[in-house]
Amino acid sequence: MKKNIIAMLLAGGVGSRLNVLVSKRAKPALPFGAIYRIIDFTLSSIANSNIDVVGILTQYKPLSLMEHIDGGRPWDLFGRTRLVEILPPKTGEEISDWYKGTSDAIFQNIGFVEDHSPEFVLIVSGDHIYSMDYNEIIAIHRARDADATVSLIRVPQETVSHFGIAETDGTGRITDWVEKPKTAKSNLASMGVYVFKREPLIRAITEAAKDSGSDFAKDVIPRMMRKQRVYGFIFDGYWRDVGTIHSYWQTNMEMLDPGSELKIRDWGIKTNLSAKGEIGDRPPAFISRNANVVNSLIARGCIIEGEVRNSILSPGVSVARKARVTDSVIFHDSMIDKECLVQSCIIDKQVSVGAKTQIGSGELIPNKKHPAHLYTGISIIGKLASIAPGITIGKNCVINPDARLTTKDHKSVPSGSTI
Amino acid sequence: MNVLAMVLAGGRVDELLCLTEMRPKAALPVFGTYRIIDFVLSNLMHAGVNNVGVLSQYRPYALVRHIGTGEHWDFVGRSRDIRMLPPYRGSKASDWYKGTADAVYQNISYIEHFHPEHLLVASADHIYRMDYRPFIDFHIDRGADATACFTMTKRKSSRFGYGVIDRTGKLIDYQEKPDKPPSDWVSMTLYLFKTDFMIDVLKTNAKEQSHEFGRDIIAKIGANCRLSAYKFRGYWAYARTVDSYYDTNMDLIRGKVALSDWQVRTNLLERCVRGDRLPAHINGKVANSVVSEGCVIHGIVKNSLLSPGVTVAPGAEVYDSIIFHDTSIEANAKLTKVICDKDVRIGSESTVGGFGADTPSREYKELLRSGITMIGRNTIVPARTEIGANTAIYSGARITQEHIEPGSTIR
Repeated sequence: MKKNIIAMLLAGGVGSRLNVLVSKRAKPALPFGAIYRIIDFTLSSIANSNIDVVGILTQYKPLSLMEHIDGGRPWDLFGRTRLVEILPPKTGEEISDWYKGTSDAIFQNIGFVEDHSPEFVLIVSGDHIYSMDYNEIIAIHRARDADATVSLIRVPQETVSHFGIAETDGTGRITDWVEKPKTAKSNLASMGVYVFKREPLIRAITEAAKDSGSDFAKDVIPRMMRKQRVYGFIFDGYWRDVGTIHSYWQTNMEMLDPGSELKIRDWGIKTNLSAKGEIGDRPPAFISRNANVVNSLIARGCIIEGEVRNSILSPGVSVARKARVTDSVIFHDSMIDKECLVQSCIIDKQVSVGAKTQIGSGELIPNKKHPAHLYTGISIIGKLASIAPGITIGKNCVINPDARLTTKDHKSVPSGSTI
Repeated sequence: MNVLAMVLAGGRVDELLCLTEMRPKAALPVFGTYRIIDFVLSNLMHAGVNNVGVLSQYRPYALVRHIGTGEHWDFVGRSRDIRMLPPYRGSKASDWYKGTADAVYQNISYIEHFHPEHLLVASADHIYRMDYRPFIDFHIDRGADATACFTMTKRKSSRFGYGVIDRTGKLIDYQEKPDKPPSDWVSMTLYLFKTDFMIDVLKTNAKEQSHEFGRDIIAKIGANCRLSAYKFRGYWAYARTVDSYYDTNMDLIRGKVALSDWQVRTNLLERCVRGDRLPAHINGKVANSVVSEGCVIHGIVKNSLLSPGVTVAPGAEVYDSIIFHDTSIEANAKLTKVICDKDVRIGSESTVGGFGADTPSREYKELLRSGITMIGRNTIVPARTEIGANTAIYSGARITQEHIEPGSTIR
């Protein structure tokens, strides 16, 4: 069936600055806010904008993502003409290979786009925390008769080096575009959200592919700017990149701040509640007689017997007696045993922290392996790691997934270590 | 497995006062996020029973919505389904259900459509986790025509049906609501029948005046058929009265119900998470309590169970209470031993319960006397109202007086 607009969601992001949190999953599949995954924000925005055909481009460890998306059911993107299709790389066709970049991923799925022959194609990255009514950018795109419209957001001048930065003229037309500049005249950053007319899009990505270009920001937008009508749309809502450990942690913490503009419930963000390990079969949280919970989010299946302050607990986390968890984000089914002290940590799924263990105390020394990413004091514990009772782990530490820390090898792990 | 299940979910229950005024007992919320029928449906799912008929006639809307397509219990597929079986009118034999046996009798054509070898009949009103497979094996291995399931009780009450079971597992006597119970074994209203046998028995019963499984079927078929009794030894709650419903809920925070191991399924998309609720946000003093998603707690909550979306404002205090979905408790209100239905607003500085516990309800002397206060759905309790214990406020009542005596009933 012909659709006016379809969405292509880029969910292949590796997000390497998120360290061990993304060593076993793509960035869009990373848990956020206790029960969500990062992709929920983009997918809900698409569904809430009444766009009902979505192609999801994946190639990096897509299994957990596929289970999470569950054919689009949790977002009501499911029906005779409503669908979410996972588009992994494929072989055996004329254009087929691993996706070499964002525009190459779309180029290899031109068939999917043509099948629906939409007038417009919305291309969005699944890496960010925000909510957007895409109808606004589409309306402006249409009013200006643009070939491409890029959604832009003002970022602090000192962070421009993380983004694609655009300059626009008085009519909104993009006049200059630099990818990750050291300094820039403008502070309008690309959000990884684009609206294209279908034909110019297909022409541009096909031409880019001929010159081995594979990326929207590096190859497609600069190419189109020369001959075609490429405009900027300035979004002034809440938007977070969560590309670094610190920004990921801080954005989670914003959920505890009533003054924050992060309003997940008002935005109507949906997630898959019945997937394995989510809230499906779990009873409500239980807070025991001697527990003390202060300004924290506690999901289903949590059992709290100790103290939890300013923290975000995913389903099934247990905090035993006299343990103290502060300023931390803890994923599904991790266990914090008796008399532990956990401060400023991100603990991945199914981690077991033995009794009297201390994490996040000691000197503030940047991580030796990743000094540029890990210096604000946050320690990260990878999925399924197990930490024997009584170990002390400092600040800015990284414990790899599946690591088995025993007191024989590690009585204490000094700040800045990676294990 | 050649077993079809018929779930009895229809009856009106008056003993629960305003809690079951607008819903069948099977649809009553329990343990924060569940409804009572979830336990039987989950048991059936875990046992691999693929086809389930639900018999319901009393205000079934909440139940119809809750069960939905059955997908939450995986009762969806080419050969798996769950059906609501409401009363219907037709050329013959049709009317309101006149009892549990009559409800099944009126749906013989549904049973014959599946022609299962065995029929499992279960009441939706009980809270327990049971593996039905050994029960089914027991019934089949003994070649029984009918097998009833019993659980041991210490507290004898004339409300139950009692079985006398011999050493071999034969049911040698069954008495419904006897003055003097003949044993410790109470019927769980859970039966297995050979289908052909069952249909014959129901057809015979249809000519009688009374149509209940316990009183009219199990108690009367003894002589010339193979009647077995299966003993269940896990947690089982009946929750027939306000007191037992309250105690059952409290059993969860007393640690008597290992709910994490039960793997109970419920409809997640309906009231429980409607509006896509966030996890509970706790920023007050919560102790020994069950807290569901969407709750926002700034005050004190102790020994209580909160369903999704309950808000407890700063300075408010909730003790020993059961609060259903989306009820808001405003600043400095104090609740003691309250069962509060959905969408209630307790105005600031109000006191609900906690005084006059020894004054029984004037209208329901036997049913409401242990100090519980009940607030019906959608009630607005204005600020600074005082409501005494053993009071029942029905849904739709308007509260105008500032002081409500203990033992009152307000409609």
